[in-house]
Amino acid sequence: MRDYFIRRFLLIPPTLLGITILVFFIARAMPGGPLEQALMQAQMAQQMGGEMRMGQRTGQGSNITPRQREQLAALYGYDKPWYLAYAQWLGDVVRGDLGKSFRYQKPVWEMIGNCMPVSIYYGLVTLVLTYGVCIPLGIVKAIKHRTWMDSTSSVLVFAGYAVPGYVLGALLLLYFSFDLGWLPRRGFIGEEYEGIGLWQAIGDPAISAPGLLWSLVKHSILPLCCYMVGSFAVLTMLMKNSLMDNLAADYMRTAVGKGMDFRKAVVRHALRNSLIPIATGFGNNISLFLTGSFLIEKIFNINGFGLLGFNSVVDYDYPVVMGVLLLSSVLLLLGNILSDMLVALVDPRIRFT
Amino acid sequence: MSQILPSPLLSVRDLCVGFDTDAGFLVAVDGVSFDIPRGGTIGIVGESGCGKSVTAFSIMGLLPRPAGRIVSGSIVFDGEELASASEARMRGIRGRRIGMIYQEPMSALNPVRSIGSQMMEALLLHEPLSKKAAFDRCAELLDRVGIPSARARLAAYPHQLSGGMRQRVMIAMALSCGPDLLIADEPTTALDVTIQAQILELLHKLREDAGMALALITHDLGVIAQNCAEVLVMYAGRVVERAPVNEVFESPAHLYTKGLLESIPRLDTGRKSVLPTIPGMVPGLKDLPEGARFAPRSPHPKAAAYIASEAYRSVRPPLVELSPGHWVEDCEVVRV
Ligand SMILES: Nc1ncnc2c1ncn2[C@@H]1O[C@H](COP(=O)(O)OP(=O)(O)OP(=O)(O)O)[C@@H](O)[C@H]1O
Ligand SMILES: [Mg+2]
Repeated sequence: MRDYFIRRFLLIPPTLLGITILVFFIARAMPGGPLEQALMQAQMAQQMGGEMRMGQRTGQGSNITPRQREQLAALYGYDKPWYLAYAQWLGDVVRGDLGKSFRYQKPVWEMIGNCMPVSIYYGLVTLVLTYGVCIPLGIVKAIKHRTWMDSTSSVLVFAGYAVPGYVLGALLLLYFSFDLGWLPRRGFIGEEYEGIGLWQAIGDPAISAPGLLWSLVKHSILPLCCYMVGSFAVLTMLMKNSLMDNLAADYMRTAVGKGMDFRKAVVRHALRNSLIPIATGFGNNISLFLTGSFLIEKIFNINGFGLLGFNSVVDYDYPVVMGVLLLSSVLLLLGNILSDMLVALVDPRIRFT
Repeated sequence: MSQILPSPLLSVRDLCVGFDTDAGFLVAVDGVSFDIPRGGTIGIVGESGCGKSVTAFSIMGLLPRPAGRIVSGSIVFDGEELASASEARMRGIRGRRIGMIYQEPMSALNPVRSIGSQMMEALLLHEPLSKKAAFDRCAELLDRVGIPSARARLAAYPHQLSGGMRQRVMIAMALSCGPDLLIADEPTTALDVTIQAQILELLHKLREDAGMALALITHDLGVIAQNCAEVLVMYAGRVVERAPVNEVFESPAHLYTKGLLESIPRLDTGRKSVLPTIPGMVPGLKDLPEGARFAPRSPHPKAAAYIASEAYRSVRPPLVELSPGHWVEDCEVVRV
């Protein structure tokens, strides 16, 4: 089994290689890349400038010299064939350098690093809250199947499932922030705390820790609701159905037949079995939560990982696209391995070889 | 002349059990009565679906809830009524005073917990033992049911054992607290023939050693011949014949019993002869008649007329006693 997991880890680099080659190639092959964008912008600027100065039209692209064009191409790495450019990118990555953003001229690492605290915070809190609420709720729903408590919670769960997170976000924002004004409208934290590091905040007597915490909580209530609503129904119902299946299993009858209290039998026997499908999806959810959702981040104006990835695609900012892709792929692959480990942990029948 | 009989260990009277289903309330066990004396043995036979397991689960209070419930009748165990006993009271009886072995050894054990922990649990629920002592007892028990290197096996998980081994574990677990009654619900149906014989022999030996009573459920009369003193033949939720075991084999009084006997393979018939089977099928639980339910499958010449009569629909034939202890459903068309 140890060998199996070692093999799984060794498979990560080739998998990443495959993913990045593919995306790199597609990015290069797509029309409207950064080079064309830059050329178009340069052209437009000149056109407008020209029109203002002389009021006469200039010929198409005539004002960009081939030399300028070459410089631009070299800047974006379009001066060599795509595989050489990829090799260069890969070489940099191996040395720990993800390159510079085309658009912002900042190192990609720095941009990713900037949104990491936000993403990790939302990712972990969502993870803990989702599992912390869904699993107990699923258990109660299974045990109290077809009682009023099960039915009412089902209505809520499915209503939540039917509403996409970003729609819920817009509605919540409209009501709680704009109409009632109870909660802040945007951002990760209050402006007065912005740009303060965690250690700094703890060390600095001028900053009140409860105040900072409260500001954080106020800002995160609505986004967290939106994040949770996505996987809430699926996870709750998965837990419920899985436990229901196991409550009806023969081994439960055996346990009760030994003279065990039914509730005790649920905890000691059915529960662990019913966690097997939950464990299967856990790793996947970790990467899902950590990479965030650009729609929710956009609505609440949170600068997280999801929004970074989205904007980079829209801006044809390929170094950032590749960096974000690399990181989320690593997360996904690690998550899958983690899932397998968890499944092997709860289910002794699973022996990976 | 009255005789003071010792009270039986288990006395089931007019037991009726049913299930709420999408097709309405269905009665699966309809007026079943029998006794098991202390240390005695009874065999319950019948084709699939005739209510054997449901009868057993009723005694244990293990009917699937909330669908299944006892409608009427009584189950008196050692002077105590079980049909209406509280759940807490039942917990003290299950496992400790009545042990049960289930039909499906493959799924009756929890797949994610070791054999040892599941066996120890059964012991620790009823006896004030230390973990260490319980562990030793479990090893002893496994040894007794013939599992080699018992101590090491306690750490094994169910999937690492064969079906026969699992059934041995189930037996060891059922016997762990020294119950007064063991209910074995088709303990060998899921196993292959050689293993079947071993398990039955084991049960027989253990029963004699421990002096406990045994209710052996099976659809094989041959198995009962070797293991039980009395036979209860069930058909479509009812007892159609009840008799000491040798009488059943020598002079079966119900056509259904006769059919079951004839379908046991025998060595003394010719090799080419076709094994007789009972024509027809066990009826479904929906819209069962009150009359003799075996009639549609009976070869009796008057069977057709009986089925057409009002009596078939609404009159339940009583059991009559042919000779001491030999009872049969009193209806001409199903009698031998
Ligand atoms: N949970 C349930 N819901 C509805 N009907 C049930 C349920 N359990 C059993 N029954 C019905 O009760 C009848 C008797 O079932 P039972 O399991 O006692 O048969 P059996 O004699 O043990 O048969 P087998 O030899 O197959 O084990 C069957 O017709 C079955 O369909
Ligand atoms: Mg059965």
